[in-house]
Amino acid sequence: MAEIALHASNISKFFYDPVKIPVLKDISKDVTKGEFVSIVGKSGCGKSTLLYVLSTMDTDYTGELNINGTKVTGKSLNDLARIRNSSIGFVFQFHYLLPDFTCLKNVMIPALRLGKLSYKEVEEKAYEKLKMFGVEEQALKKANKLSGGQQQRVAIARALINDPAIIMGDEPTGNLDSKNTGIVFDLFQKLSKEFGQTIITVTHDEDFANRSDRIIEMTDGEVSNHGK
Amino acid sequence: MKINVNTEIALTYLLSRPKQTIVASLGVMFGISMFIFMQSLMKGTNDYFEKSSFSSTPHIKLYNENVVADLHLLNSLPNDNSVKILTNPKQVQQNQGLTNPYGIINSLYKNPEIANITPQVTAQVLYTSGSVQITGTVAGVNIVEEDKMFDVKGNMLQGNFLDINRVNNGLLIGKGIADKLSLHVGDNITVRAGIGSAVIMRVVGIYATTIKQIDETKSYASLIQAQNLLGKDRSYVTDIKINLKDYNNAPKVARDIETITGYKAEDWVHANEQLKAAFKIRAIILNSVIGVILLVAGFGIYNILNMTIYEKIKEIAILKAEGFSGQAVTSIFLQQAVYIGLMGGIIGIIIGYLVTLMVSRIYIGAGTLKYLPMSFYIPHYIQAISFGILTTIAAGFFPARKASKVDPVTIIRG
Repeated sequence: MAEIALHASNISKFFYDPVKIPVLKDISKDVTKGEFVSIVGKSGCGKSTLLYVLSTMDTDYTGELNINGTKVTGKSLNDLARIRNSSIGFVFQFHYLLPDFTCLKNVMIPALRLGKLSYKEVEEKAYEKLKMFGVEEQALKKANKLSGGQQQRVAIARALINDPAIIMGDEPTGNLDSKNTGIVFDLFQKLSKEFGQTIITVTHDEDFANRSDRIIEMTDGEVSNHGK
Repeated sequence: MKINVNTEIALTYLLSRPKQTIVASLGVMFGISMFIFMQSLMKGTNDYFEKSSFSSTPHIKLYNENVVADLHLLNSLPNDNSVKILTNPKQVQQNQGLTNPYGIINSLYKNPEIANITPQVTAQVLYTSGSVQITGTVAGVNIVEEDKMFDVKGNMLQGNFLDINRVNNGLLIGKGIADKLSLHVGDNITVRAGIGSAVIMRVVGIYATTIKQIDETKSYASLIQAQNLLGKDRSYVTDIKINLKDYNNAPKVARDIETITGYKAEDWVHANEQLKAAFKIRAIILNSVIGVILLVAGFGIYNILNMTIYEKIKEIAILKAEGFSGQAVTSIFLQQAVYIGLMGGIIGIIIGYLVTLMVSRIYIGAGTLKYLPMSFYIPHYIQAISFGILTTIAAGFFPARKASKVDPVTIIRG
């Protein structure tokens, strides 16, 4: 049995406005290290909500969440920020790069925040990541001067800079054409196969989901199919 | 070079919107330069008035004050047990002079706070020249010591002030007296002290102070001359004038001297209460004006940071998703406020200095005041920049706290 990267047990969450509605109902699941998981389901089934709970950004839930064997439920916001910084990388539907900074800086910022490496080392590492995704030529351009596909690749490079154990994507290809979707998918696959990084993405794209290791289907706040 | 990542982000945000940043720091700059200009003007004016009041008033004046009659003489009758009642007590005329004045002076010199002491004989007199008479006072002084304390030499218009020691019956008159009686150096003037006989004196010099009332009444003679006018002996002294090393200690030293000598010691603070009141009022006016300016500058910063946060709310959410804690986000935005304050503060100090310098060269020419009195006082500059930075921190605090509370989930999910 492979190592568990993420373990969720009995996660429930309610929306209270305007009335109390359950959005996540008693969800338990494990994700092993190096696994490439897609979460699919209809709009409003709670798959994004689940992702944000798993990401530690949303703390308003019941149940328990373990990341890399550490219990994160109930930790302070500052501790959670540190955990996100070091062990979770994010890729969103929109790239969300900081437009005032160069691509290189955008990639560097999470690592500078972590503060484990010197400025020079971080810079080199960021260059490496950009090279890996074929956007090193754009390194010194402002983030808002790039095409959508390039921006998303920079955003993925940013998510990887701290070598996180888990990469989470909220429809990472939702805003891309099929060519760029292919590139992003190949990158994700490479990360999970070659670098052993765990990937959890929420997606609407059936092709994308079908090609991943495991598909988790959600219906009305419950997991209707755990995949394998 | 190692810059904290928060600092780097703060600086990038400031530099990516140069216009806004400059406008915000201009607000601080105006506040600070105004602060420096007003403080310099006020301190300069206060110093000027203080100095001009010390040109005629000593820090402490020791004299014999009349006292109200009391029962101590009646009660000292021997073998008398009756109860005495004194109705309608009056002031008792004391012998105007001080007893053993030179003994007092010698003992006062032992006080380390005292810089200068000089005795004076004051005589109320009537000046007569031709058919015109005016009242005034003659101050019998040791002119050399008087000059040390009040810069008589600097006030001289004509003649030599030392001549009152050399010329028999020499008199140094104020410009007002000279004008009213149309006197010049070398002219004669008849001076009569209340009970004494009239003495013909010679004008050896004319002086002018900043205070018109003094110039119109007061004249200087030698101590002996004044004693002669009053028909008194050589040990007769009415006042002892004392200057201290630090005039701010005057009230305390005056109380000590009063206790030791038993005479009335009046310090300059009491003698110039209206001056002190004017200082206070000016300080209140000044502080309220500066307060309003800094408040406006503070609101400017508050506004700009608030707008920035509104604009950057998605980026703040991303930073939080990347692992920036609330504290880190607060630091990013508070630092922006501090840099705006620092920039405005430094430019403000330079402009404030230049404006002060320029204004100090404006010719006023009112009375003896030639140029606007401005002071260049380093603590004002330190105060200005610390007030500026305090204001910007206060103004930046609330927007920064708001930014730190941004919930990344609601912002990213839209």
